[in-house]
Amino acid sequence: MTRSDEDMLENLLQDARARPQPVPQALMDRILADAIAMQPEPAPRGWRGLWQAIGGAPAFGGLVTATAVGFWIGVAAPAGVSDFAAALITGSDALSVEVAQETGVADLTAFGWDIEEL
Amino acid sequence: MVQAALNGAPAPASGMKMDRHASGSDGLAAQDPDAVLLVRYAQGDRTAARLLTVRLSPLVFGHALRVLGDQAEAEDVAQDALMRLWKIAPDWREGEAKVTTWLYRVTANLCTDRLRKRHRGVPLEDIAEPADPGETAEARLQRGAREDALQTALDALPERQRHAVVLRHIDGLANPEIATILDIGVEAVESLTARGKRALAKLLGGQRDALGYEDDKI
Repeated sequence: MTRSDEDMLENLLQDARARPQPVPQALMDRILADAIAMQPEPAPRGWRGLWQAIGGAPAFGGLVTATAVGFWIGVAAPAGVSDFAAALITGSDALSVEVAQETGVADLTAFGWDIEEL
Repeated sequence: MVQAALNGAPAPASGMKMDRHASGSDGLAAQDPDAVLLVRYAQGDRTAARLLTVRLSPLVFGHALRVLGDQAEAEDVAQDALMRLWKIAPDWREGEAKVTTWLYRVTANLCTDRLRKRHRGVPLEDIAEPADPGETAEARLQRGAREDALQTALDALPERQRHAVVLRHIDGLANPEIATILDIGVEAVESLTARGKRALAKLLGGQRDALGYEDDKI
């Protein structure tokens, strides 16, 4: 490789570097269309963001149900619930005994649990 | 693992070993403006999509065009490479690699796949030359002849040398970054570019008169 060949090559490479081939507009348009088609949706803000943050309609349905059940238990509590709640809050050791006494083994069989027993 | 370090970019198609010398430009990724744009893109920012397209398309298309020597194939490769970037954007791990390094690597692999499937080179007349309004017809012809001669010589280089020469001397990347892109050592890059340049000079040496270099002060 002679010095002049080296210089010529440097010159050719320099020209190639200085004059990059322009990207055809149609290609640019296609690439941008791909980019937008593949782009994830922006995260919603404000009330919509909060709504989605709590899980949307399914989670809201669960919240409503839980609230209604809680309200109903407050209005018409089944027998033993108040004792159970009191024992739970005070941490009484008598809890398990009282529950067993009030519920009774016969009640449990009503759910078919005895079938599973060996 | 190199693949993990490059955000899942596919390994080079060559059978070359996967040792990783240069941490290359990975350390710069924290300040990588393209990575910032990519995060914004993944958050749904349309402006980021536009900016990334404008910034990255020329790099990918230019490299593919020089390596493949065919406009239609280069366009396909550019679109495909960027499609992969859009796909990986939500999972992009910041700080692991520069976006451009990742993209050059994907582009190089796509070009390699095409070169291996191809039977022969493609006519270079198909490549549209950038117009320069201030240029005379004679100068334009001269420039066209020089560009064609350079591309023909590049096409004659072995695939790895061609990638290395284009990345180093036309795309203007530093050797450590090229090492990361081609997944070889810096010394191997230096060797490839040196051999590539020697081969190019030899291929072009007999065309000095035809390319008008006898009269030029170069």
